[in-house]
Amino acid sequence: MSMLPEGVAAYIGVSTDHEFAPEAVEPGAVRRFAQAIMDDDPAYWRDDEASARHGGPVAPPLFPTAMFRRPFGTPDPFAAFAEDPDHDGAGTVATLGLPEILPFRGYNVLAGGSEVEFLRYARWGEKVRVRSSYADIEAKQTSKGPLFLIHILSEFTTAEGELLMRVRRTSLRRPV
Amino acid sequence: MPATTTPCFEDVAPGDALPPLVKGPLRTAHLMRWSAAMENWHRIHYDRDFAIGHDRLPDILVNGSFKQQFIVQCLKDWAGPRGWLWKVSYQFRGMDVVDEVLTVQGHVAATRRAADYGLVEVEFGILNRAGKDNTPGRATIALPYRGGPAVPYPFVPPRD
Repeated sequence: MSMLPEGVAAYIGVSTDHEFAPEAVEPGAVRRFAQAIMDDDPAYWRDDEASARHGGPVAPPLFPTAMFRRPFGTPDPFAAFAEDPDHDGAGTVATLGLPEILPFRGYNVLAGGSEVEFLRYARWGEKVRVRSSYADIEAKQTSKGPLFLIHILSEFTTAEGELLMRVRRTSLRRPV
Repeated sequence: MPATTTPCFEDVAPGDALPPLVKGPLRTAHLMRWSAAMENWHRIHYDRDFAIGHDRLPDILVNGSFKQQFIVQCLKDWAGPRGWLWKVSYQFRGMDVVDEVLTVQGHVAATRRAADYGLVEVEFGILNRAGKDNTPGRATIALPYRGGPAVPYPFVPPRD
């Protein structure tokens, strides 16, 4: 018998269409990201020999995973902070277009790890799109109780369909 | 700053250490700046009362998404402008909390030749101040042969 909570198995195999990030690779967003990770690689900001290999300045390698932000005209997740002082904010973590797994709402959320394959970096001004799927959801019994592993596959491409990278990410859920 | 040179495949051997990358101490301000850059408002990364009182965590957690940036920076800097970080995988096996100093350390585990470049397998981890590695992983880095062309870009995976 499955240890998955009722309704969770139905999410396995759910995938998105190719969804565009709401904005292209913005130099300002690249700067904030690079400064946050404390990596002043000149390929991120100099349009000279430092970025010549890439055909111009690029974003940090994992930047595309942060591009899928809430677009204009969508519900503000911060409303939940106002309504519920115990709201954890975990739902604001980018889901890369995938629907929230509702039976896990309220569970603790932790990162499990990733496998990434890089083909090239996204250049300033490029539009990026992603296609994601819930590849699998597993349950494990641990000394702290049940633990659920959500495996998410994502493929990031340019608007022209050129592959930037593939990511297999594992996100963990544990009952509070 | 990243290295401005790339090691040649012939100069690399199993056991060689990569230059370590040190980050921290990572204060709440660092984690808040990262959360803002990501637009990730999960409170366990900036709200101590919530992290401890609600989620029963030891303290504010350093984001896994933050730690993975350090791994990638260390590896791509070593690969340099003529090499390429092709694949990387890592597991978040334990928690690192606010005020921690994290050091990415890696070494060459194996090498093999492909047609157009050499491939280097790297084992790495992120050590905290107690010397505990909560983020072990492996990577594959392509390096040019001595006297040969740079690793192709965009990267072309080996056929063999």
